[in-house]
Amino acid sequence: MSLAPETGSPAWAGGAAAAPLGDDGAATGGVRLSGVRKSFGHLDIIHGIDLSIPEGAFTVFVGPSGCGKSTLLRMIAGLEEVSDGLIAIKGRDVTDLDPSDRGIAMVFQSYALYPHMSVRDNLAFGLKMANTPKAEIDRRVTAASAILKTDHLLDRRPGQLSGGQRQRVAIGRAIVRKPDVFLFDEPLSNLDAELRVSMRIEIARLHRELGNTMIYVTHDQTEAMTLADMIVVLREGRIEQVGSPREIYEDPANSFVAGFIGSPRMNLLKARRTGRDSLTLADATLGAPFPTASGKSGADVTFGIRPEHLTVGQTAVDGRSLTASVDFSEYLGGTQYLYCQLADGQTVTVEYRSPVAVRPGERIVLSWSMETIRLFDDAGLRLRQGM
Amino acid sequence: MTVVSNLSRAAGRPRPRSSAWRGLLYIAPAMALVLLFFVIPVIMTAWMSLHAWPLMGAQRWIGINNYIRMVNDTRFLSALRFTALYTVVATIAIFAVAFPLALFVEKQRRFVGAYRTIIFLPVVVGLATASLLWVWLANVDSGFIGPLLRQLGIVERSPNLLASFDSAFLTIIVMVVWKIAGFTMIILLTGLQAIPADIVEAARIDGAKRWQRFRYLTLPLMRRTIALALIISVTGSILAFDQFYIMTAGGPQNRMISVVYYIFNQSFVSFNLGYGASLSIVLLAILVAISIVQLWLLKVGDDKA
Repeated sequence: MSLAPETGSPAWAGGAAAAPLGDDGAATGGVRLSGVRKSFGHLDIIHGIDLSIPEGAFTVFVGPSGCGKSTLLRMIAGLEEVSDGLIAIKGRDVTDLDPSDRGIAMVFQSYALYPHMSVRDNLAFGLKMANTPKAEIDRRVTAASAILKTDHLLDRRPGQLSGGQRQRVAIGRAIVRKPDVFLFDEPLSNLDAELRVSMRIEIARLHRELGNTMIYVTHDQTEAMTLADMIVVLREGRIEQVGSPREIYEDPANSFVAGFIGSPRMNLLKARRTGRDSLTLADATLGAPFPTASGKSGADVTFGIRPEHLTVGQTAVDGRSLTASVDFSEYLGGTQYLYCQLADGQTVTVEYRSPVAVRPGERIVLSWSMETIRLFDDAGLRLRQGM
Repeated sequence: MTVVSNLSRAAGRPRPRSSAWRGLLYIAPAMALVLLFFVIPVIMTAWMSLHAWPLMGAQRWIGINNYIRMVNDTRFLSALRFTALYTVVATIAIFAVAFPLALFVEKQRRFVGAYRTIIFLPVVVGLATASLLWVWLANVDSGFIGPLLRQLGIVERSPNLLASFDSAFLTIIVMVVWKIAGFTMIILLTGLQAIPADIVEAARIDGAKRWQRFRYLTLPLMRRTIALALIISVTGSILAFDQFYIMTAGGPQNRMISVVYYIFNQSFVSFNLGYGASLSIVLLAILVAISIVQLWLLKVGDDKA
């Protein structure tokens, strides 16, 4: 079951799992998963994923470690068997096909270059296995190394390359195969921070130039936000939300997505509902952002607000402010993060841009505008107006 | 700043000398053993080989006469030929059995630990013990193989396996494979396990079939391991002695006398210690030469993977 978007334009939402393969206009050319399941014995790793990835989209699977994102990618690649369900690429059922027959290419976290072959042979290996004529191999290898600017490295061994160069070669090996779908398994996590940023831009450029469908797995939400056309947030083998980066950030479906995407993370504060349109949080009575029809008085809710939506002041605003004491602060130049404590001990992170210094121990008033509040019920699901 | 640089200079300068001494100290025990049990005996053997050296009585300097004698010694040349034949056949047989076994026990499957243990078990038996065991197994009347063949109706009369050259040679090869293949398998297994799984997966995506992956990835990536296993196997075969001494005592018509057996005969049966020493030196030279050629053929050392 997917918790696929309740709002937005769910062109890719996999609700209609029963739709026959290839019959789904938007996703004919892309990748389609229906009821995909993976279990080891009695242990379920992937719990029935339904997802349509449109052709040409850059899709990022993101989630904490152990959420099954890499397993799902490897199932699409054909490196892991599918326990149940169907995988289709370009309208073709590939569930039981060999990895090489699926029209995919994969870039591994460890690069997985063949250490005993030159860069040229690494790039050409797949084509040689497919008995491609030599002239064609040369043409494609030259073209790929021109795109990735690795021409001067062609005669070296992988052991003689830097991490960034190896990653380029690994991507080049994928390009040479001319796949329908590129699969990236945390390709940047072995690189240092600076190189990671430049390779990220490189991959975005590559997607723009080639226009292929790309599926990218990462636990780094910055990579997810910057690269994706479409983000799939996974947790414990289930899809938590599917949507564009903006939708995921601004309209999270539940408190997990809200807390996972965004850095520093959204403040998720324990609160209690006291009436149709009021809450208590840390002894203060606050106005609810919207009247709740079904809300029981006394129910626990989670009050979510992002650090950048909190305004620091001195005077309380009735129903939409809290007092807090500053524990410590981080100065980042353009901005400053204040780590504060509420009256009941809950911690709040605040983004603070004013040049007026705030010292640890100081008492401040945090206020907000109502539309920036996200409320979640005690199961973590988003509460919306009219529910 | 000056304090820091003074300190580092003070600490830095004397270190190379003292750490070099400490390094020597660490390798001293190993060096002593090598010196005592290899270098000195080799020098003494080389010295002996230049003498007519009977067990009792005075030794006499004869220069390189022992080496000259060797060239015309037909029994030595036939021992060399037999050892070469045995080495080639045994090594091929061991690899032909050990490589599939290594591939078999490399995969994670049920009871794989038990398989590995059972296959490795004969390795821990001493070679002499194993030879004695197989002498009994090959016995015409009270053994196992012959009577079994008869009971199964394959032969009419239980054959005397160790009586003819071909069947004795075959029996010894089978015994050696049973005894050694487990060891070679373990060496090859370590090489197989050192190949990263994602390289194999990348090759699967690149469309390499099982045989192609073996040919283009497994074999080249196992080059060092194969070189090691090959050198151990070849060296062991060239030095073979126990099985011929115990199982066939030189074989039907003295056709199973290996080089080491011949050296033993010359030194401790005929008491030509000087001649035995010169044969040993030549055998050492042959072993060194073969190892160099093998390492060169497998190009160990230039691989900067």
